Amino acid sequence: MKASTLLTQIGLGLMLGIVAFIVFGPLLNLAMWAFAEQWFYPNRFPTDWGFAFWERVFRPRAGAWVSLFNTIIVALLAVLLSMALAIPAGYALARQALPARNVIMLLFLLPQAFPNLPIFVNIAAIFYQWGLNGTLLGVVLVHSLPGLVYAVWIATATFATVDRSLEEAARNLGASPLRSFKDITLPQALPGLLAASIFVFLDSIDEFTGTFFVGAPEITTLPLLMFNASMGGNYQVAAITALILLIPSVGFMLIIERFLKADVLSRIGR
Amino acid sequence: MKPLTLTLGLLTATLTAPAMAATTLNVFTAGDDNMVEYINEFLAPRFEAMYPDVSVRALGTGPGDAGSQAIYETLSAQRDQATWSVDVAVVHQRMAGQMVEEGLLADYVDAIATGDLVSAQSARNALGVDVEGYVMPMFQSQIAIAYNPDLLEQPPESYTALANWVEEHPGQFGYNGITGGMAGVGFVFGWMYAFTDMADTLQNGPWEEDATARWEPALDQLRTFNQHVTMTPGNAGTLDAMNRGEIAMGPVWMDMYYTWKTDGRLNPNFRLLLLEPGMPGQPMYYTIPERAAEPDLAAEFIALATSPEIQAEGIVGQFNWFPGIDAEHVRSELSDAQWEQLYADVSPETLSERGFSMPQADYFRAILEAYESHVSR
Amino acid sequence: MQSARGTLLVLPALTAIALLYALPLARSLITAFRSNDGSWTTEHLARAFSLYGRDVLFSIGVVSASLVLITVISISIAGYLVLGTTPWAVRLLRWLYRWPLFIPFVVSGQLARSFLSTNGMMNGVLVETGLLAAANAQSFLDWRGLVLTFAWKQTPFVTLLLAGAMAAIDRSHIEAARNMGAGRLRCLFNILLPQAAPTLWVGLILSLVAMLSVLSVPLMLIAGNPTMMTSMMAHRITYYGDYGIANALGLFSYALTAVTAWVYLRLTLRREANP
Repeated sequence: MKASTLLTQIGLGLMLGIVAFIVFGPLLNLAMWAFAEQWFYPNRFPTDWGFAFWERVFRPRAGAWVSLFNTIIVALLAVLLSMALAIPAGYALARQALPARNVIMLLFLLPQAFPNLPIFVNIAAIFYQWGLNGTLLGVVLVHSLPGLVYAVWIATATFATVDRSLEEAARNLGASPLRSFKDITLPQALPGLLAASIFVFLDSIDEFTGTFFVGAPEITTLPLLMFNASMGGNYQVAAITALILLIPSVGFMLIIERFLKADVLSRIGR
Repeated sequence: MKPLTLTLGLLTATLTAPAMAATTLNVFTAGDDNMVEYINEFLAPRFEAMYPDVSVRALGTGPGDAGSQAIYETLSAQRDQATWSVDVAVVHQRMAGQMVEEGLLADYVDAIATGDLVSAQSARNALGVDVEGYVMPMFQSQIAIAYNPDLLEQPPESYTALANWVEEHPGQFGYNGITGGMAGVGFVFGWMYAFTDMADTLQNGPWEEDATARWEPALDQLRTFNQHVTMTPGNAGTLDAMNRGEIAMGPVWMDMYYTWKTDGRLNPNFRLLLLEPGMPGQPMYYTIPERAAEPDLAAEFIALATSPEIQAEGIVGQFNWFPGIDAEHVRSELSDAQWEQLYADVSPETLSERGFSMPQADYFRAILEAYESHVSR
Repeated sequence: MQSARGTLLVLPALTAIALLYALPLARSLITAFRSNDGSWTTEHLARAFSLYGRDVLFSIGVVSASLVLITVISISIAGYLVLGTTPWAVRLLRWLYRWPLFIPFVVSGQLARSFLSTNGMMNGVLVETGLLAAANAQSFLDWRGLVLTFAWKQTPFVTLLLAGAMAAIDRSHIEAARNMGAGRLRCLFNILLPQAAPTLWVGLILSLVAMLSVLSVPLMLIAGNPTMMTSMMAHRITYYGDYGIANALGLFSYALTAVTAWVYLRLTLRREANP
């Protein structure tokens, strides 16, 4: 190996080391907090390690279990609701000649094109009148809004990639429209629709602002629990909750490309 | 789809099962996390032991007046309904006054056994509003300055000395402004008591139209002061910044300070002091909404929470907070050591001399608005 | 017939958008201009600007700085992923850069709170490696912390889009340029970037919207004023129940994204007019 190549390799290694530190440093710091029992200035490392705070987070009264259940239930219901709305809409937008199709596509783009905090604030005010504040339904609805946008986009792109000739063949053989959709179109579109569901699920798990205005204090989700712990100075509790929140995020990050194929990705928003 | 539906059903069942087995007492509390923790970890198990078919559900609505505002909005949104979703509300002084005026709270104090254990002025009057009969103090808290003796041996003891000190030690004093909780708000009120000639009027009234104009020198001074200090995110943020060695001193709630200390979360060397001429404190109030679903249970809950034993064992003994009911009823339940621990940093004399109340409701709001338009912009 | 059925299929989703988006949007626009007695007014706008003008400027500064940082880093990473000649480094980088992609904003806020504080790991490592004197260690939990956190969270997203767009470009262009002796940097800036620019813009605009929407991170990192507009909107509502000024602030944030989108559209149109 030539000296210059060696030098390049070392330089590359160094650069990647810095990138790795930037990416993993904060995560490592968080993990340290999750297991620190006593840690204050000027100690560079925790002076006491242990699981005491884990026990505290997960004891029955502390609310972590309820928040965890809420988070999962809300996310699942938001997926169900958005997909139930997005699959027919996406199919129609991809396949059928609709009047003002571009306007409709634009309409499904708007919620992601403008900051959503004012929207959530006003949804909360409206939900107060409808008695939906602090209810599970209210939170599911609020979580479905951004989810719906993703779901419609991805579903439209997915249905556009499904081979139309097979579907027409089935129809020619006498299958009903519903049957040909169920047996031919849906299986082919499944990976894309699963990707859409994952997006909605992740988005719902991340969702903070909407829950903050519509759900709190009756419905607490993990992000809210984490936020309150952090603002209350309970770094350990916040770190432990954050670690739990990281499981789905990192898990899906590692597998997302299996679901979202390049041909679907390139069609999003068209 | 089938397994999904099944999972969902199971989850819903697990969630609703305990709720159906018992009556739920909904306790909403404003304030920092330590309030929820006290109700959840200390009060609830004791109350549930007395009433096995009742489960207590404590919900925190957030620190500072924002937390009380959230309770107020929850209740006023349900004005037209027959029963409300809150059984016990723990609120700050300012909101208690407003809620009594708007008829959102029930008159219950005379009906409970511990009602006559409280004689403090603050149990009858909340920042200028007559609240007698509607509130029981949960505990009395006081804003004080915490400092780190490792970083400074001779802390400034008065607002004037502090104002000079920060110029020589930029960034060493930290507080949370007025958006992150009441410790910062209280520090600002103390500033107004110190640097305007209205300390007495601000606390006791009457309202004077031209008052805001007279505050300008004090606000300008505060603006200069702010340029030399560190801003911390929230009440807990101040303690946190001290823990991390970022600041040497800052205003904190004494109750939170002691909770953290007993938890081992705070450097044990830290000390407290009250700035001259004085700093404000306030009680948190137990209240019962006018149309609570379980008013009798709520009254029982408050009677337990304000009983001398619980006040001694929980409020003073375990958390080192000042009792809400009159001290003489609590004193006998405690050892001398526990009692002295309560005044370890701040003596009873200093407390009575320098422990002020919050400003009257009108001034309260006016000072915050003036701060936003003069100091923080 | 077919279009009627299509409309029927889209209708439920449209209704949901109307109720959950259009209605609150209309309400936010109207409340921004309504005084308490029901008459029309611009007083909320004026007060919002006089009270929080500095916060608006601060928000603009922070998002601009973040966008610059995101652009620089994502171009470098995406460029290296496409043009890099050391296979192991390309593979490792591809695996590394994506980690923050789906990490929730609240969690990134907490990560920043512990990592960037005076006593956090970043200063710790800098001090240990001798790059920083212990006495000079300071907290980065101010506008710098916000910029770093936003960049940390959003860069992978923009990079993912950009690298995808660059990878889709015909390799033969690059090979041809390389054969003619063009360096890799020239390839990146003269061939790859111009073609992938529209994707980069989309990524940046979506990041801008995300940064102007997020409430938790500024609440967790920034103490006092100035801070992001979102914090002050929430403050107006949680402290005073004051929807007028909060919605007026909302208008500013709409305007900010609208201006950016307009610039983007103009650039695209000009490009399409004279390619």
